Amino acid sequence: MNRLKAMNRTTRTNYLTYILVIAAYVILEVMLKGGGLKAATKGMLVPICAYIVMALSLNLTVGVMGELSLGHAGFMSVGAFTGTAATMCLVDAVPNTAVRLCIGIIVGAIAAAIVGFLIGIPVLRLRGDYLAIVTLAFGEIIKSLVGNVYMGVDQGHLKFSMFTNELNMSPEGKIIIEGAMGIRSIPKIATFTAGFVLIMISLIVIFHMVGSRSGRAIMAVRDNYIAAESIGIPAFRYKITAFTISAAMAGAAGALFGNNYSSLIASKFNIDTSILILVFVVLGGQGNMLGSIIAAAALTILPEALRSFADYRMLMYAVILIAVMLVSNNQKIKDILKNAAEKRTGKKLAEGGASDE
Amino acid sequence: MSNVVLKCENLGIVFGGLAAVNDFDIEVHEREIAGLIGPNGAGKTTVFNLLTKVYEPTSGEIFLNGESTAKKTTVQLSKAGIARTFQNIRLFNKLTVAENVMTAMNQSMKYSLLEAVLRLPRYWKEEKAAREKALELLSIFDMQGMADVRAGSLPYGAQRRLEIVRALATEPSLLLLDEPAAGMNPAETAELMENIGRIRDKFGIAILLIEHDMSLVMGICDQITVLNFGQVIARGTPAEIQSNPVVIEAYLGKHKEG
Repeated sequence: MNRLKAMNRTTRTNYLTYILVIAAYVILEVMLKGGGLKAATKGMLVPICAYIVMALSLNLTVGVMGELSLGHAGFMSVGAFTGTAATMCLVDAVPNTAVRLCIGIIVGAIAAAIVGFLIGIPVLRLRGDYLAIVTLAFGEIIKSLVGNVYMGVDQGHLKFSMFTNELNMSPEGKIIIEGAMGIRSIPKIATFTAGFVLIMISLIVIFHMVGSRSGRAIMAVRDNYIAAESIGIPAFRYKITAFTISAAMAGAAGALFGNNYSSLIASKFNIDTSILILVFVVLGGQGNMLGSIIAAAALTILPEALRSFADYRMLMYAVILIAVMLVSNNQKIKDILKNAAEKRTGKKLAEGGASDE
Repeated sequence: MSNVVLKCENLGIVFGGLAAVNDFDIEVHEREIAGLIGPNGAGKTTVFNLLTKVYEPTSGEIFLNGESTAKKTTVQLSKAGIARTFQNIRLFNKLTVAENVMTAMNQSMKYSLLEAVLRLPRYWKEEKAAREKALELLSIFDMQGMADVRAGSLPYGAQRRLEIVRALATEPSLLLLDEPAAGMNPAETAELMENIGRIRDKFGIAILLIEHDMSLVMGICDQITVLNFGQVIARGTPAEIQSNPVVIEAYLGKHKEG
């Protein structure tokens, strides 16, 4: 207990986040095993995990680095296509699905990291609104490019073509990515446990990075660019590091997401998806990782939970979203909650002092 | 004579035809406190921005510890030994006081991002040492008690002092202070003056400061350079400057006869 008190607030928040994520996983896993989950809810577990990782990844860019990115779905797309194509190519080579999924996620993360790094070089020279607009454009460019890739495996060789299907496959060859039709008949190997592990890894990477000299440097550049340079922080280098890591996480999330469905098309990862992920981050609070997790999970479940409203489903979704934004940003409500929390901890302290057995 | 830390020759910058600073010369030695004064808009902060390469000089040369800084960037100059504070405070507001100081030690820390993510021994060792050093530096201004407060929520005077501590954390050989006493009351200014002297003695560095508070400038500076309309109009010891008619005219205007 004394050790808990000695920790600073950030460390405590980090541990609380880990504990809540692990608890949620254990409860859901028990319900899964016990059959206490509806089929519809079961099917949503992996996408929720993927969206949580997306939200964490974008929160690294928006909350920690302080730059608005509107093209995050692009990195997810790169990860989804490369990660899923990798697992499909390895069906025979790696029979163990867990290992294959793991390889797929790593491939997706690396591919997205490379794309993120290359895009970061021009984009991160900009700031603020300009950066946001350019990331939006890059997101759309990635979507268009990915939607025009043809790829196949033919007698142990990979074949690529862009824009038209000129793969010239032999009869025993297998087409994997087929332009706008994307990838079809994917063996769905993504699991909830893999999603959980990915969330935990993302959290550890983000928290440990934020608590290191790199994290401080990134946040220093966010808070004051000129002062950061004056104390010898190479701003661009730290920004591109953060952006690449953020893209890698989005790629990993994409690979998990892609391996969860039987088909995958590039147009799924459009500006709507980028904005949806941004909504998770803004609703959860910039820089607040636990908030991102809760917002991503809640807003992914919400449309399903509102099915009973039939035609008015998306209307209700919008109304709830607006209401939550208003309430969570209301200073009066914030004050009331803060006072209540203070009273409670005050009481606890008083009680703790009296009944110290 | 002790080592020359900073030497400027014919330093100048032109903004769209206007020479904001022209033919600026200065020499600051180790363990010397030099003052840079002049009326508003004289180009004092511009000199600081030239020295730290926030602006690229259009003419002249700067030597830091005998080496030309012509090819160096702001970031490299910090490594070479220049540290500064800002007239309009520029702290990392969302970081804590200790984190602000530790950020300035980034260059001297070695562990990689991978070591940080995996929390390997070198991470713990260097972080612990950095925090201890930060607390030690904060103790110059008796600020170690505020180490875990967010920098943005500090009172004004403490923010100014934190900027100085952050600058010192980069282990500079030349410290540039841009109006360190701005907004402070006479008692705080006197305390600051004492602390600047202590910093000079403890770290053995050269200090160049811009200041409007004449009690501070005259009290601690070994030499003073007066700037008006981007030109050096006088240079000398505090006593010489105080009685210099050109300086008095620049500050108070020409006395009209009859």
